[in-house]
Amino acid sequence: MKTPAELEQFYQTGLQPELQSLERQRQAAVRRMIVVGLVLVPLAAGGGLLLAAATRSPLPLVFLAGAAVIVAAAVMRACCRDYVRQFKATVIDRLVRFVDENLRYDPAGRLDEATFIGCQIFQQHPDRYQGEDLVAGRVGATDMAFSEVHAEYKTTTHDSKGRPQTHWHTIFRGVLFWADFNKDFQGRTVVLPDTAERWFGRFGQMLQSWNIGRGELVKLEDPEFERLFAVYADDQVEARYILSTSLMKRIVDFRRKTEREISLSFIGARVYVALPGHRDLFEPRLLSSVAAFEPVRQYFEDLHLLTGIVEDLHLNLRIWSKEEVAGTPAALHSQGTDRTPRPPGD
Amino acid sequence: MLWIPLAIIGAAVLFFVILYNGLVAKKNQVSNVFGTIDALLKKRYDLIPNLVATVKQYMQHEHDTLTEIADLRARGVAGNLPDADKVQLENRLSRMLGGILVAVENYPQLKADENFRQLQGSLNEVEEQISAARRAYNAAVTDYNNALEMFPTNVVASMLNYQRRALFEIPPAERQNVNVGKLFQS
Repeated sequence: MKTPAELEQFYQTGLQPELQSLERQRQAAVRRMIVVGLVLVPLAAGGGLLLAAATRSPLPLVFLAGAAVIVAAAVMRACCRDYVRQFKATVIDRLVRFVDENLRYDPAGRLDEATFIGCQIFQQHPDRYQGEDLVAGRVGATDMAFSEVHAEYKTTTHDSKGRPQTHWHTIFRGVLFWADFNKDFQGRTVVLPDTAERWFGRFGQMLQSWNIGRGELVKLEDPEFERLFAVYADDQVEARYILSTSLMKRIVDFRRKTEREISLSFIGARVYVALPGHRDLFEPRLLSSVAAFEPVRQYFEDLHLLTGIVEDLHLNLRIWSKEEVAGTPAALHSQGTDRTPRPPGD
Repeated sequence: MLWIPLAIIGAAVLFFVILYNGLVAKKNQVSNVFGTIDALLKKRYDLIPNLVATVKQYMQHEHDTLTEIADLRARGVAGNLPDADKVQLENRLSRMLGGILVAVENYPQLKADENFRQLQGSLNEVEEQISAARRAYNAAVTDYNNALEMFPTNVVASMLNYQRRALFEIPPAERQNVNVGKLFQS
């Protein structure tokens, strides 16, 4: 893995020229936004006041204020669209290759819905599924991929007048990651955050064993692991074969490192990791200089954390009988990924 | 008014049935996992002749260890060993095999041999699976022993005269780290 010194050097030699030109683009975009703001605000205020005077009610002002905000947001997004795209295509793309030569970045790509459902960490099927910032390739001997994912389901209620209202609820928002696992197995094993046991102790464990549709509850020996996670599996012995004492320790350490309620599952020759979180991964700064080192360091840390899962879980240790997947690194558009459709003319 | 005592009796019977079934399930789980261990041990036995044959030509110094491994295997496969002896044999076999796999480091030719590499992968795999099965066995036995001793299942257990089962333990002597040098001095 790359050291901070190497990152600094890469920043100086590999990134700086691009960042300078991007900085100019950013400043131009911000100027455009300010101009639009300066035109829009008096227009909306003037129009609102006029209408308010004419109709003697504050409603038009409120309405116009709301409309102005919406228009302003749309215009701001349009101003920055080119800038964001340029930023991701140059800076993030280079950073990804810097982290590992065999990785590729697709800003509009994401893990597809079948993968999301197939990992069986989440029990609901999404009604709306979005994602971006796909990174895929091979680290050492292990194929892997991850992307941001936002999956929601909807419920429909009827308000007092009988009109249907749709409410959206988040199933998962964060990063979904998968990697080729280094042992062969047949069934499925799911590792979920263990809220019940933390709060209710042994009684919580009893409640967990009633969790239907998830397979059997597996009680493991590592006390720290047991406190943090609940494991459900089709087969007791296979679950312990996968979750060796050393892997359990590594999962606990990784959980501490990310400070998030991660979930894992082992299905179909892969390990899936779900890291919830609201922060957008690779968005460029708008209101301060993009050429600074600090944001670059942050992007690198995010990348390092995610690609480092392979090392953290020791997946490159291939001493069992599972054959290494030989050949080219996982292509971005191979099974399991897709691109979000872009509007025409983009 | 008659239905009140009937309902109470009914509830008590239901409760008893639930406890009884739970206890039986735990007892059977112990036997189930024990069977899995046996199956995995057999899988290991099947790998050993191939290992000895592959390795013998290269490893001149480990001849004695290989002979012992072959002997242990023969005794294991023959069966008819009391449980305690069987466990001891299996533990010793694990250590011997582990020693061989470590000693391979001294034989670069052997390490590069494709046949051996596959065999090594299979052996590592079966050893880990045996280890996983032992852990599962201990978990099942702990669950069962807990049910035997905790209220209210201990009442049902004493009615059925269920006995405690023993965990798989490694005796203190064998828990010491394998001294590979000593292993091959004989």
